[in-house]
Amino acid sequence: MARVEKTGWLMDVYTRPSGELVCWLLSEDGQRWLLPMDFPVTFYAAGSLAVLRQAWRFLRGRGVQLSRQVRRDLFHGERVVLSATLDLPGRLPETYRRLAQAFPALDYYDADLPLAVRFVAGTQAPLLGRCRFETDGQRLLGLQPLESAWEMQPSLPPLRVMEIECDAEPALHPPQDIVIRCDRRCYRFPLQPLRAFVVNLQALLGTYDPDVILTRYGDTWLFPFLSEHAPSFNPNRDEQMKVEFRRERSLFAYGQVLYRGAQALLFGRWHIDRCNAALFAEIGLTGALEMARVTGLGVQEAVRKSPGAGITAMQMQTALRDGVLIPAVKQQAESTRTLVSLIRYDRGGMVYQPLVGVHRHVAELDFASMYPAIMVRYNISPETLYQRDAPAGLIPRTLQPLLVKRLALKHCLHTLDRRDSRVSDLKARQTALKWLLVVCFGYLGYKNARFGRVESHEAVTAISRELLLQAKENAEDMGFTILHMYVDSLFVKREDTRTEADFLPLAEKIQAETGIGVTLEGVYRWLVFLPACRDQRIPVANRYFGVFEDGTLKYRGIALRRHDTCPYVAQTQLDILSCLAQADDPREQWKEAWGLVNQRVRSLQRRQAAIEGLQMAVKLSRDPQAFRRPSAAAQAARQLQAEGVAVRAGMRLFFWFTQQGVSVAPPAAEEVDWDHYARLVLRAAGEILDVLQPVEKKQQYYLPLLK
Amino acid sequence: MGRTVPTITRQLNETEAMLQTFRRTLRRGDQALLDGLLASAHRHLAAISASGALLPFEAALLAMLLEQARRIAALEEEIRIFQEEVVRLRDGKG
Repeated sequence: MARVEKTGWLMDVYTRPSGELVCWLLSEDGQRWLLPMDFPVTFYAAGSLAVLRQAWRFLRGRGVQLSRQVRRDLFHGERVVLSATLDLPGRLPETYRRLAQAFPALDYYDADLPLAVRFVAGTQAPLLGRCRFETDGQRLLGLQPLESAWEMQPSLPPLRVMEIECDAEPALHPPQDIVIRCDRRCYRFPLQPLRAFVVNLQALLGTYDPDVILTRYGDTWLFPFLSEHAPSFNPNRDEQMKVEFRRERSLFAYGQVLYRGAQALLFGRWHIDRCNAALFAEIGLTGALEMARVTGLGVQEAVRKSPGAGITAMQMQTALRDGVLIPAVKQQAESTRTLVSLIRYDRGGMVYQPLVGVHRHVAELDFASMYPAIMVRYNISPETLYQRDAPAGLIPRTLQPLLVKRLALKHCLHTLDRRDSRVSDLKARQTALKWLLVVCFGYLGYKNARFGRVESHEAVTAISRELLLQAKENAEDMGFTILHMYVDSLFVKREDTRTEADFLPLAEKIQAETGIGVTLEGVYRWLVFLPACRDQRIPVANRYFGVFEDGTLKYRGIALRRHDTCPYVAQTQLDILSCLAQADDPREQWKEAWGLVNQRVRSLQRRQAAIEGLQMAVKLSRDPQAFRRPSAAAQAARQLQAEGVAVRAGMRLFFWFTQQGVSVAPPAAEEVDWDHYARLVLRAAGEILDVLQPVEKKQQYYLPLLK
Repeated sequence: MGRTVPTITRQLNETEAMLQTFRRTLRRGDQALLDGLLASAHRHLAAISASGALLPFEAALLAMLLEQARRIAALEEEIRIFQEEVVRLRDGKG
């Protein structure tokens, strides 16, 4: 084939078993290309010169180009390094592993970077971005980016999507039928006989040649099942590749135990398991593409990994472009601190306890992306700490375009009508970016983050506290009462302010004084701050409900927001809020709300509620054998284990309360513990209604229901 | 998350737990008053935290005093209104 030049999109990169890099491209004429490309990769080692010489001798003759270079470490400045370049990128992990095993005392750099990140930084061609490429049909000869990752309206590749679903949750019941949807057609195949099913699936893959396979339980069941029982079946577009399986694991992060199911990754097309992709439910395919575009992580990785991996990938790209070395293992430990210094500086954001009770005409003002905005504006980065007038650091330079793009997307959303067809895509994209910005602050202080440093983390919270205090002072200067402040938002009211226009001068003043964008989230017709359950006199931060002037509800910290609340109780609480929202003051609707509670409790006592609405969900905080008391979660876990299900910490389990305890299978109506559900409804109702009326009146309503 | 120092809420809760024997020894009526005092400190967690004191309970005591002062001011204001009302009634203007 003669050399041809095409315009299209860079979809993904990966390495074949031979070690060569392959680019998956989609050209505008609809053709899919899997083209190997020359892409040498380099990693570095630094340390004592004597050991480096030995390392040189170790690598010599292994197909590695070696040289002595001086390169910049973000923390140690310039270092003499041994540079090792491999023509086949797929060989790097093994070469590095052997070298690190032989010379553990050396510091290694750029040795464990995701291939796509390295490729994007090296070619400047973002994943999912438009590009021009040249090929002779066998290899990719040149690649030129036509779009940046920061394009506000990026052109989208015309993707072919195939959806595969099974008719049961495989962990509980063996699926019988598989439903496949593609190109507006729907096929239903019995799983057995398996040979017939595999032939049909292979035929559909050949006919539709999808770019994306969207499944439910594809990671944890479908592809492992097919690999075991039909080993000749290959769902990859690249026939030289096999499905890559990664093992399940439980991990502790963000103060909770998380479970990550096994993963099945494809080559030449993507596989996304809706049930195993952390953010997919929220951001969908559009958001996943946006995340891959800005982070440089492949789509399959971006949807499965936490946003923290995304922000790390972005920092790596900045470092690679700037020629800064990326340590394979973080080398900076926290410096020694005095207790006084820790007490003074190791603090979080400012939280001002709310004034408990009902408040009318309250405005909520938010600092827009406060922490990342502080990092950018105040140039907070591990290497710029304690320096005045330092050039922009690695972290601010990474975050700046992300921040700008998210604010622009948000602004765009505000200008559109809610019914506009672009709204859902824009929302998905801005949510994807929001998650990256949310975690970027945590990663600044995370002990394993490559470019983390706890002092810079503390600097951000110190500045945020100061800014919030400035905001408070500005508001008080203008005669407002501060009802509550929570890290980056404040709730204010004044006798004579009613509409958004009345609060805008305050927002503008705070923005002008602090230099950080302030948005008016809205004006509440009324807002209720709730006290602690254990003592009504103690206020609790970020626990409230209210209704905006346009009738939209907002609530935080109540049963409705918790994942372990069953749908029936959640719906009851939502209905109570909707009932209260009809009045200008929630206290006026108190009786009507109790009438509704009465009705729901009576429904339960008469066993009239649907069983599905009573299904409880709980995330397992530890492995089943580690439970000491027979809590509902422990009982559910043991029941599942008895049925042969592999239960791990971090998994989400579903069950019902029954007269005998709990049941993981839907129980018959006479087995359900209806009284327990009635108590849950009363507790959820009390959470909202108790604060609205004095104790003696509450008892009039509670007691008859409890009987 | 990555923090070495316990939060101010946790520190106060721990101090309150340490005071349980003290509380138990008080008369029932005084226990309720103590609970009220301790609860009033929780309204000023941000300020107690911002004080950066090695012993935050000192700042918590100040917060309790502050709430007492607020209560006294409110009562003084009520007395003033009542007194004005009494004077008005005495002068036959009511």
